[in-house]
Amino acid sequence: MAEKKVVIDVKKVCKTYFMEGGTSQNVLKNINFQVRSGEFVAIMGPSGSGKSTLMNILGCLDKPTSGTYILDGKDIASKTDLELAKVRGQTIGFVFQNFNLMMKRTIADNVSLPLIYQKIGEQERYKRAVEMLKRVNLQGYEDRFPSQISGGMQQRVAIARALINNPAIIFADEPTGNLDSKTSDEIMELFTALNKQGITIVLVTHEDDVADYATRMIKISDGCKVYDGLRKEYSKEKETKC
Amino acid sequence: MLKAILKEAWISITAYKLRTFLTMLGIMIGVAAVVMMVSAGQAVQGYITKSFESIGSNLIVIGPAEIVSGGVRGGRGLPSVTVADVEALNGLKDVEATSFIMPAAVQAVYGSSNYGVSVRGTSPEFVKINNWEIEDGIMFNDKDVKAAKPYAVIGQTVVDELFGLQNPIGKTLRLKGKPFIVIGTLKEKGDGLMGDDQDNVILMPWTTVRQRLEGSERPQYTQIAFVKVTTEDKMESVSKRVEYMLRTRHRLKEGVKNDFSIRLMTEMVEKVRSVGFMLSALLAVIASISLVVGSIGIMNMMLVSVTERTREIGTRKALGAPNDWIMTQFLAESILISFIGSFIGMIFGVIFSQIGGMLLGYEVPISIWSVIVSVSVAVIVGIVSGLMPALKAMRLNPIDALRYQ
Repeated sequence: MAEKKVVIDVKKVCKTYFMEGGTSQNVLKNINFQVRSGEFVAIMGPSGSGKSTLMNILGCLDKPTSGTYILDGKDIASKTDLELAKVRGQTIGFVFQNFNLMMKRTIADNVSLPLIYQKIGEQERYKRAVEMLKRVNLQGYEDRFPSQISGGMQQRVAIARALINNPAIIFADEPTGNLDSKTSDEIMELFTALNKQGITIVLVTHEDDVADYATRMIKISDGCKVYDGLRKEYSKEKETKC
Repeated sequence: MLKAILKEAWISITAYKLRTFLTMLGIMIGVAAVVMMVSAGQAVQGYITKSFESIGSNLIVIGPAEIVSGGVRGGRGLPSVTVADVEALNGLKDVEATSFIMPAAVQAVYGSSNYGVSVRGTSPEFVKINNWEIEDGIMFNDKDVKAAKPYAVIGQTVVDELFGLQNPIGKTLRLKGKPFIVIGTLKEKGDGLMGDDQDNVILMPWTTVRQRLEGSERPQYTQIAFVKVTTEDKMESVSKRVEYMLRTRHRLKEGVKNDFSIRLMTEMVEKVRSVGFMLSALLAVIASISLVVGSIGIMNMMLVSVTERTREIGTRKALGAPNDWIMTQFLAESILISFIGSFIGMIFGVIFSQIGGMLLGYEVPISIWSVIVSVSVAVIVGIVSGLMPALKAMRLNPIDALRYQ
């Protein structure tokens, strides 16, 4: 079987924050990995390990200090702010811990929000929002407001919003962090189902049972990649030193 | 794209209705104030112009000389222009007609009613020159003047005060105990420039005033003389001829000051109009201060809005919103607020100025320019006051914005 396309190619990525007073902090140190289309990857690590910084770079919200990051064949480090916005809008779907829905807009408006920036007309936006809501089992909720549905449903709305541009990859930052365990399972099952449909998913979590839904795990510790392999084969002993 | 931005802006500003309304209120009051003040200024200008027109246009007014002492005007000297002078002026080139006033303030009596009136001894041309119209009856003629007939043509106030609902024509009223027959009534003219009642007047042949009312020992001096010029552009040349003729008739040597004064009505109208314009401009400037206050209100609200919606801005950026889209959306919000506010303010301004005009009895014009200017200013205010918050929103780092609690 032919190998699948590389959607994320991270080479020698470093991120350094320069503080006032001339001090600096190396948050990411020489990170290398690739993610192929259709993979389900969990990025794990303790607080302050640098996993969120890595996620920001992968999500094109930040640029590496050095190294290269190629997303779906595009070199991200050399792109302008406008080009990065375009990449975020067309190639990436975001799912946030706090859902980040617009409470004063209908669910259909929330789901179709990324399409506004692609200059797609109102009718087409609504049509596609209805399709996406069907995909996350929320048909019939188009004209309600986020405050009228549960937290789990709100996260499903956020997932529908992430899917609406047919992105090459979905980034989920602690997507179950604000949900109870039953709802968390439902959301993770939805991610699993989407992954089986061929969607690449990269999620950041510090919860083992959430990471268990992923097939591959990348662990970051003190800014270094200390494990990159199958989730089910992970053990503390297999971690490399930073 | 514009439609989508406007819709997003509309949803955002309607999400917090009370706050948006209160912000709009500043602009509403500002624009309403500008429209009302400009209308008030124009109403005053219109009133002044109308008052002058009621006196008569293309007029040269000749009165007693001004007394100037040490550079300070000290009122008027004694009358020096005689009836003969005025009659002589009639023969000058480009003079359409002349007239004059010999005033007297007396108590008029009819039956059991009496009223203090302003009597004006004059010539028959007075009505035409000063834009008076005969409502009923007739004006006295030159023969009546020659014969010093005891005829009176009375204003509407005199009609109301002395005769009430009766027809005054043919009735006899008494002035200083002497009888005078009412031969005509004047059409209502309303208040004069100084708020004086122009209709409280009795016109009589000047000879009648002199012989029957004041006594013939009074010299034939006029209080004010009027020269009506054929066209406005001849005013200057005629006034020079008038001055020359009067100086010659009064035998004034070179270097001696005029013993009379000449004023051109057109100049007076222009002066008063320019004062009215200055008044309008001043009122508009004062009113526009409230527009500035309103714009500060918008800026304040938009800054609060950007801070409150920091995470929303981060989310939008993460979902692919370009920076200029974010900036345009916030600008659109402030422009919408100021535009809607100014539109409502304009409507209220027009309504209130019309109501005010109705209550005060003035005709208040609706100035299209004040409407256009105030709405345009409001849109500019929206852009200016929304620019800083919009730039702040645009420059937000998406990572920091997403983390904002």
